[in-house]
Amino acid sequence: MDTTQLLKGVLDLAVLAVVSDEDGYGYDVVRRLRSAGIEEVGDASVYGTLRRLYSSGALTSYVVPSDEGPHRKYYGINAQGRAMLDAQSKEWQEFAGTMGRLLGTEAVR
Amino acid sequence: MSITTEVWDVDEYAAAVRRALVGLGPEQIEDLTDDLEADLADALADERHNAHGRSLLEQFGPPQEYAAELRSAAGLAPVVVEPRHRTMRDWLGAPFVAMRAGGDRALATLRGQSFWPPVESFLVALRPFWWIARAWTGYQAAMYFAGATTLRWLPRGVLMWVLLGTAVVLSVQWGRGVWFRSGALAWIARAANVFAVVALLPVVVSLQGQTQSWESAYNSSGYGPVQTEVVYQDTPMDGVVVDGMQVSNLFAYDAEGNPLTDVQIFDDRGRPVRTTFDNGSGEWFFPETQEPWSFVSRADEDGRQRWNVYPLKGAPTSEFTFADDGTHALTGTSVPSIPPRPFAKAPALDAPADSSVAADSVVPTTAPTP
Repeated sequence: MDTTQLLKGVLDLAVLAVVSDEDGYGYDVVRRLRSAGIEEVGDASVYGTLRRLYSSGALTSYVVPSDEGPHRKYYGINAQGRAMLDAQSKEWQEFAGTMGRLLGTEAVR
Repeated sequence: MSITTEVWDVDEYAAAVRRALVGLGPEQIEDLTDDLEADLADALADERHNAHGRSLLEQFGPPQEYAAELRSAAGLAPVVVEPRHRTMRDWLGAPFVAMRAGGDRALATLRGQSFWPPVESFLVALRPFWWIARAWTGYQAAMYFAGATTLRWLPRGVLMWVLLGTAVVLSVQWGRGVWFRSGALAWIARAANVFAVVALLPVVVSLQGQTQSWESAYNSSGYGPVQTEVVYQDTPMDGVVVDGMQVSNLFAYDAEGNPLTDVQIFDDRGRPVRTTFDNGSGEWFFPETQEPWSFVSRADEDGRQRWNVYPLKGAPTSEFTFADDGTHALTGTSVPSIPPRPFAKAPALDAPADSSVAADSVVPTTAPTP
């Protein structure tokens, strides 16, 4: 199964979860998603998602100057984002449970 | 596909992504891609770490696809403009919207040119200078509207510096995208930016004009750099000059060294030799007199005023008055006299051949012909 299709529906949730752990800049979030096992995520999808979540008010953003490299735009979660994360993770848990039960009855283990 | 054979560096790839985002406003593109170069570079560095060594194209695919992914993930699917009721705000905003659209189109056209990406990144690097410049312009405008009669390049006084400093902080924070991101404030900030663009040139020009007038006043008051006035004269100065100093009077002595009076002097072409050209109005100092003298002319038998009869006679200037016709004349009781001679008697000529005077001077062997 193409996990990228699955991921599309939950990328917001995944990004919110990563950022809620710790503030991060674009590629940093990509890296943490990958190290968490979400390998197929496209960089551009993550950046676009960060941007959209920021525009919708779920994330804050601030620029961190850097001595050696370029300045990086960091994203952090705010109250609205946290509420969104809670609601979506609850939905996901329910959905995953439903899917698990569905598959558990049909799948041969 | 030929494109896969090309080697793209981070800047080129990022520029291609931006080009592919045509249709979005520059601010949206900026929002979406402001960290793109850094992110791509990080991704490349990680890639090298993993020893895959894939190029940007292999890693991310064509920039167009990358851009499309970025755009759709950001929720910026092709925007459908819905017709809606026009409000007052739309009416007022229409020219700005049109201007902005024109700017966007121009920028999109430029971004399609291959020369543009390096130019743009250069200009982007210069943005902090503009942030300072617009803060400064705003400060000058504030001074002007506050009724300052003269603008200055830099503030004077703590309060003015604080004002300028505040303007700089506001400008830079906005430029960095830290402050003024919400609707109304962003509009005010944008208006201020446009105002700064328009006002910068007039402010600089008027300051320049003031500075020039100050400089000329400063220089003419003698505090400026000393300017030596060099006068080139094509013809030598008139008069008689000895050792670089203009001579006021001549004293003639005869062969025995006795002083002569009323000696007329002409040059080799018959022109009268004059020492003074002030016609009696000038004041001359001699080594042994306390006050200046003025000279009078002699009248010849034809009634002409003659100034080449030496020694010139005169009197202390205090004895002269200005006549009704403006001429400088002696008062009624004063009589012109010969100024003090340098010496009463000069060395005689025709001295014996063994005298020391003759030793180093040419002695005419025959008497000068009259």
